Amino acid sequence: MTGFVDLYTEGNTFLHRVDPRVKITAVILLSILAFVLSSLEALAVLLAFIMVLVVLSRTPLAKTAFSFKFVFRLMLLIVILWPLFDRSGEPVIASFGPLVLTEPALLRGVTSATRIGCLATVWYILMFTTQQRDIVRALVKLGIRFDFGLTLAISLRFFPTFSATIGSIMDAQRARGLEFGKGGPLKRTRNYVAVLIPAIVSAMRTADGLSWALQSRAYGARLDRTYLRDFKMKWSDYLALAAVVLVLVLPLTAKYVFGMEL
Amino acid sequence: MKALELKDVRFKYRGSDNWALDSVSLVVEKGEFITVLGCNGSGKSTICLLANGLVPHAIQGDFEGSVEIFEKPVMGRTVAEIATKVGIVFQEPESQLFCMSVEEEVAFGPENLAVPRHEIRERVEWALELVGMKGYNDRSPFSLSGGQKQRVAIAASLSMHPDMLVLDEPAYALDPIGRHDLYSVLRELKGKHGMTVILAERDAEEAAAFSDRIVIMNKGKVVDVGPPRDTLRNPDKLKRMGIQPPQLSEVASLLNARLSTSKYSFLTVDEAESTITREIIGRGGVVRK
Repeated sequence: MTGFVDLYTEGNTFLHRVDPRVKITAVILLSILAFVLSSLEALAVLLAFIMVLVVLSRTPLAKTAFSFKFVFRLMLLIVILWPLFDRSGEPVIASFGPLVLTEPALLRGVTSATRIGCLATVWYILMFTTQQRDIVRALVKLGIRFDFGLTLAISLRFFPTFSATIGSIMDAQRARGLEFGKGGPLKRTRNYVAVLIPAIVSAMRTADGLSWALQSRAYGARLDRTYLRDFKMKWSDYLALAAVVLVLVLPLTAKYVFGMEL
Repeated sequence: MKALELKDVRFKYRGSDNWALDSVSLVVEKGEFITVLGCNGSGKSTICLLANGLVPHAIQGDFEGSVEIFEKPVMGRTVAEIATKVGIVFQEPESQLFCMSVEEEVAFGPENLAVPRHEIRERVEWALELVGMKGYNDRSPFSLSGGQKQRVAIAASLSMHPDMLVLDEPAYALDPIGRHDLYSVLRELKGKHGMTVILAERDAEEAAAFSDRIVIMNKGKVVDVGPPRDTLRNPDKLKRMGIQPPQLSEVASLLNARLSTSKYSFLTVDEAESTITREIIGRGGVVRK
């Protein structure tokens, strides 16, 4: 398995230091903004703003490119597919039989793609600059139940374990002469069953062991659990929070109070 | 004080036809280091699971007899409650480490017990130092070697300040260096901290020398209990039960056979060396160092 299991990169930028709760709030507020803005110009500015933040996080280019590859493919797909379903408006740029490409439809496609781009990339700022355990801890501090936080943490923690298990099962089956990616669709599917069954058995065994380990470490012994790690909001965190709120409130005021077309 | 008392315990796992434990009675005193030797299916893992209440509370099956942990019956107490008294380390390092950093792993138990934050910090540092994993606080457990994982699992139990530690074949998947480091930690736990330890093993090599008593199990029954010098005397019998005897037992048994006696049994290399030297010189031989 290739790729980056953990998107986090160690660093000491402002984005790394700011309280994870502020980052989570910021990401949610910026997502709301992406939904509210409707003009292409405004969304493009938002996307550019997000990209500036990504650059400021000093995430290695390879990791950024790997992560955004999917986002850009998705955006491209939206731009291409949108006019197929939306043929309204004038003027017509091109037509080919029943396929009609109109300027407003193209504009709407590009706008939607930009909006999706904003929504997808903004979460990467959080993932690039925050350790997974801090995200989970921050979610619990923001009021999510500890059980849910623990479940999320365990899923994140066991992701590399399971991909390693699947990798070694595939290797073991290859060593027995099974060829993946060859033959017809039926044969291919059957080949993957040979991986799936041992993987499920192994996952169930791990789950059993996990539940024993959790109980043996006094999980659920008391309701008033304590936490080793804690976050304290510093004045700079409040400042960052205020800045984020402004970034949401200013365009909203301009749009709804002053009637600007954003 | 009795740390663990089993009286006529029988246990059959759900879906199994055989008794995993059959009429087992055993007393472990506080401060004792007990090694339970046996092959796969001998019942040694079940003894470990009984010692912290997972059997019969979390693992279903037919259960008979009585189990007392620190002189209180196991029935009517939850596993999480017993966890404050008994820590357990399992064979498989992978599924017992579930946090995203070593530090969180060790802090998880005390956090559940609502220990104050500054004390958790102290306990984490103390436990990591004890198992030789100081400075690994922020590492992901996934990135550690097998031996390191097991030592973190031990630290994660010790941070709850248990009175007894139970280890179920902790060295099973380890390389020789991992094994050696793990056993150094166990030796220190016994020597410096006087911890009550129940260790399940199939290989008697490392544990033999410093266990107070050895329990030999076969097919769900306790076959022999006693000090290592007595219980490990017959290496062939151990091998027939699927237990790897210590090499020194084999040396002693060969020497006994050669001299037509049964008086020798060795627990340390020094002991074996001086006895063999004495025998050779006593028979007019020469020993060059």
